[in-house]
Amino acid sequence: MNSPKRSDEPIWWALFSAGGVCFAVFLPGLILAVGILWPLGLLNSSVLQYAQLLSLLQSGYGLTGLAFTGAVICLPLFHAAHRIHHGLHDLKCGYSSATKLLCYGTAGILSVLALYLTLHLILAD
Amino acid sequence: MIDYQLLIQRYDPEHDNEPRLQRFTVPGDHTTSVLDALLYVQQKLEVTLGLRWSCRMAICGSCGVMVNGIPKLGCKTFLRDYHSDITIEPLAHFAVEKDLIVDMTQFLAHLSAIKPYLINDYSGTTVHKQTPAQLAKYQQFSNCINCGLCYSACPQFGLNPEFLGPAAITLAQRYNLDSRDNGKAARMPQLNGKNGAWGCTFVGFCSDVCPKQLDPAAAVNQAKVESAKDFIISMFKP
Repeated sequence: MNSPKRSDEPIWWALFSAGGVCFAVFLPGLILAVGILWPLGLLNSSVLQYAQLLSLLQSGYGLTGLAFTGAVICLPLFHAAHRIHHGLHDLKCGYSSATKLLCYGTAGILSVLALYLTLHLILAD
Repeated sequence: MIDYQLLIQRYDPEHDNEPRLQRFTVPGDHTTSVLDALLYVQQKLEVTLGLRWSCRMAICGSCGVMVNGIPKLGCKTFLRDYHSDITIEPLAHFAVEKDLIVDMTQFLAHLSAIKPYLINDYSGTTVHKQTPAQLAKYQQFSNCINCGLCYSACPQFGLNPEFLGPAAITLAQRYNLDSRDNGKAARMPQLNGKNGAWGCTFVGFCSDVCPKQLDPAAAVNQAKVESAKDFIISMFKP
């Protein structure tokens, strides 16, 4: 057997793994707070005031806001893209370099957009 | 004695256009294994039944078959655990040579591709000592009997026969983790390819069916970490 070409999979697998951790660690807490407790009125409403949240995102020279977006949007996006890409292979449904570009490309574009909007918010005032 | 109903897949490429199931009634008690039942069929009912077997004690890894769709060693699976028809077919994902005998050529090629032997410059005659801690690193992965059940369980090997597969990657880890071995650099190119560790999507069924409980899925995931480390290191090399 000849020496095979090195796969670029470590990059996508690393993003997938990091996204999986974020999915498991941060999103349940976020959903509980913003999706369940807040609508039920069980959360002190002053915590989720715009000014309060903005100052939280702006803390640490805005790095907190960017890290938050990275952890709850960007990395989970790459996690989902990886699953969809490999799911296509398992379903024998159009798995190719085109679908790879589409999956990770979509995750990439949406991540850049999310980071841009976060940055826009942080620098707004 | 109870009568068990066995449906055994028959296929003789010289005479049959396609495989078919043949029904046999086999007497058995609580100690009768699937292999015992198959040998009863071959010796008493249908002398042309083709099957592979040897040790009868889960050491040789020869008698792997699909029992009701799950890869099992015939000698380690008992009729008492089944209450209706027992369907016995050759191992999935392999080409069938005859009846329950499959062609293991590709499996063996994958095993040899990862250089499953100690690679080092040692030429002395003294015993190479190992601490219990050094042994513990790889000992679990060294218990593989090459039965091929994990390849029948692996959906990725079923989709892509070029995938090195659970046993070969486990064997690569077994030698890479051995303190007496210096051959990791020679094995990594196989693991780094798309058909190496990266062909796995961590379904984990290989570890469920492994008759020696050596957890090939864990070995494959360790190999992914090693390959990812190798990837990063390669970026800093000229």
